[in-house]
Amino acid sequence: MSIRILFSTLRRHSMMPALVLLQVAVACAILCNVLFLVWQQLQPMLAPSGVAGNQLILVDQLASPQRAFTTAEVRGGEVALHEVPGVRAATAAFGLPMVGSNLMDIALQGPNGVKVGVNGYLGAGLIDVLGLQLVAGRDFLPSEYRDFGIGGTHEKWSAGGPQPIIITQTLAKRLFANGRVLGQLLTDPSDKNDLGYQVVGVVRHLLRNQLGLATNGRADDTVLLARRIASTSTLSYAVRVDPALRKAAIRGVRKVIQQHFGALLPTGITARVSSYSSRREAAFKSQRAALGLFAGITLAVVVVTAIGIMGLTGFWVQKRTRQIGIRRALGARRADILRYFLAENALIVSIGVAIGMALALLGNALLMHYYELSRLPWSWLPVGAVVMLLLGQLAVLGPALRAAAVPPVVATRSV
Amino acid sequence: MFRYNLELALRGLRGFPKSTVLVVLTVALGLSACMTTLALLHVLSADPLPGRSEHLYLAWVDTVLAKPFNYQSLNGVTQANYRRIKLADAQALLAAHRAVRQAVVADMAADEISADGKHAQRSQLILATSADFVPMFGVALRYGRNWTAAEDAAHAPVVLIDTELAQKLFGTVNAVGRRVRLRNTLFQVVGVIAPYAPQPHFYGLDSGVFSSDGGENLYLPYTAALDAGLSPRRADGCDASYKTASRLGLSDPTHCASLGFWVQLDTPQQVAAYRSYLTHYVEQQKALSGFGKPATSQLFSVAQWLKLQHVVPDSVRLNVGLAGAFLLLCMLNVAGLLAARFLHRSGETGIRRALGAPRRAVFQQYLLEAAAVSMLGGVLALPLTLLGLWILRRQGSDFSGLARLDPLMFGGLFAMALLVGVLVGLLPAWRASAVEPALQVKSA
Repeated sequence: MSIRILFSTLRRHSMMPALVLLQVAVACAILCNVLFLVWQQLQPMLAPSGVAGNQLILVDQLASPQRAFTTAEVRGGEVALHEVPGVRAATAAFGLPMVGSNLMDIALQGPNGVKVGVNGYLGAGLIDVLGLQLVAGRDFLPSEYRDFGIGGTHEKWSAGGPQPIIITQTLAKRLFANGRVLGQLLTDPSDKNDLGYQVVGVVRHLLRNQLGLATNGRADDTVLLARRIASTSTLSYAVRVDPALRKAAIRGVRKVIQQHFGALLPTGITARVSSYSSRREAAFKSQRAALGLFAGITLAVVVVTAIGIMGLTGFWVQKRTRQIGIRRALGARRADILRYFLAENALIVSIGVAIGMALALLGNALLMHYYELSRLPWSWLPVGAVVMLLLGQLAVLGPALRAAAVPPVVATRSV
Repeated sequence: MFRYNLELALRGLRGFPKSTVLVVLTVALGLSACMTTLALLHVLSADPLPGRSEHLYLAWVDTVLAKPFNYQSLNGVTQANYRRIKLADAQALLAAHRAVRQAVVADMAADEISADGKHAQRSQLILATSADFVPMFGVALRYGRNWTAAEDAAHAPVVLIDTELAQKLFGTVNAVGRRVRLRNTLFQVVGVIAPYAPQPHFYGLDSGVFSSDGGENLYLPYTAALDAGLSPRRADGCDASYKTASRLGLSDPTHCASLGFWVQLDTPQQVAAYRSYLTHYVEQQKALSGFGKPATSQLFSVAQWLKLQHVVPDSVRLNVGLAGAFLLLCMLNVAGLLAARFLHRSGETGIRRALGAPRRAVFQQYLLEAAAVSMLGGVLALPLTLLGLWILRRQGSDFSGLARLDPLMFGGLFAMALLVGVLVGLLPAWRASAVEPALQVKSA
């Protein structure tokens, strides 16, 4: 059976196939974009964090805008946290994973000219406290740390050479293009007078805290800087605990924070003490809600399209019962009839998908205009296409089997 | 003829119950998805103060003595600018009295404690403002009186509280004459207002754009608030001298732009006059030269302000777009199913035509059937939309609690259902009415 027969039938009865085709095109356009949105939401959730999540307790929302915490108060908090049973390490920090309230926004430029916007995590001994895996180089030396505070003591890095910096593997690949990394220099593209940064170590993974940007390979765009938190008006702590004693340790940490900072916090501000896993849960709440919504849309689109194809093809099969009977009487096997309807569906859906992909790109352009969304990569289009083709074949299976079951004797009836 | 066609259309519905159910369900699904997202967009983009907002303007003069902040982030970090001004400018603009009404507006946080210390509300949002706020923004006074401009000038420790707070602190709604402690100062309650929370919270966007649980429950003169040691929580920028001498993140209105300034202007002439007054005002600020800033003043209407501050979240618009595309898919689907069932009855159509019914009558019959199916879908879409909105309300973002179906959207749902019915019915009805009578009668 040649493809010409397929076309000539389609041309003669054009409304039904045209409606199927349009449905497929619209469904394909929606699916391409929604699946892409799903992927954008999923990426930060799937990215490895690099930290010892089950051993981590984070403290933030320690803020005192009227009077900055003194260095002694910050250190006192650290010492008291160390004494809580079950605590292995603790440090004052600025910028922590899963904590969106303190963001350190840093611009880096590699020797090859590549510019990257990264998030910085600051605090003494963070590699140890967060449980990061160092794959090359070394941790900061105690002598390298300089004081840092927001609205308190802030030592500008204006002398003594570039700032030591620890970057992630992904950043190392991007900034140095597989060349030598340790000891290399990075510059700040926004400040020509800055002394820049010198890479002293590389960690395997470290998830950034601007989670909305943790997509398209940017999840690990995070660095550590050799900074010790001193007098500051906004403060957070990272605490590493014995996982077996985590529950008791959280209570202990809460008590210490209340004792040390309860009286120092202005009205309306309460410190937040919680485990890394509960932070993660909270941080991805909006992603999960969006995923639920997109999953609902995908399901609805798939069901509606399947019903549409089934209904229309079913009617069309019924219309052509006589024609099928004649073909059977002339010697066509059941398999031939089945194959004919599957091929017909594949042809219609393919044309629909082709139009749908163009529509998908158009929809994506609209989304990019109204919504901060990256460009739909070409490689995404076949995903929607394959889904639609499979869906079409599945939906047409029922009507096609019914057609194949038409006995040849039908040809002799009602003539 | 219409009645007869309607009768035939309804008979058609009953004739194919399975396909009718399918079509009704599909229409309902598409309509409810669309209506749910549209209802949310409608609530979020609604006029916060109908009848009043078109006369309200935010006035801004840039007199912060610092170099303009032009930091370019590779991470898309931007600094919010709520166009607030410093205390001296707010006082000067108030004193000039060039608008019909004018008010200083600043949100602050405080614990509210009854004078006897027995009842307290912790970390509440309060509004430091001036005497014109209540008449200007249409706040309803239930008991007592508003404070006066003279009391503003005298730094009088007076407050207005809302009925809910009065009930909580004093056990009665009429709390006029009672006293409430903020920090270490006792304030006299001179009036009780009805709870007031326009959505979006356009005059204090820095403390949340939308809130499902009300706005500020206590208003006090900004002068008395500053005296009591209360302070706005954030500022849009501080004088350079102040920043280096002290700390970042401060909001003292003497040195930092942390007070909003709203004016009421009733006619376009007044708006133009006020705009030129602001320009003139900022050009006179000699101290500004040397910071490399052009003299800047702006006047925003409420609509311009909400647009500038990107008040309606992009995700809400995105969802409307997706739901719209889904409705289109549902309509194509329904058009196909309707075409199938209409053509299925070609025999019937042929007989009607052969008996003398004009093509128009057949067309009308099928179009009516499509509209009827779609209206049924609309009826079913109503509970589905309410379900969708209920799910939205449980999402827990700051605006989702506001998702409601108002009468306008309720009417919109049925208008849309009818439109959808006619649109999806056009092609199938035309196709079915084009049937040649003779051919069908012969083969039937």
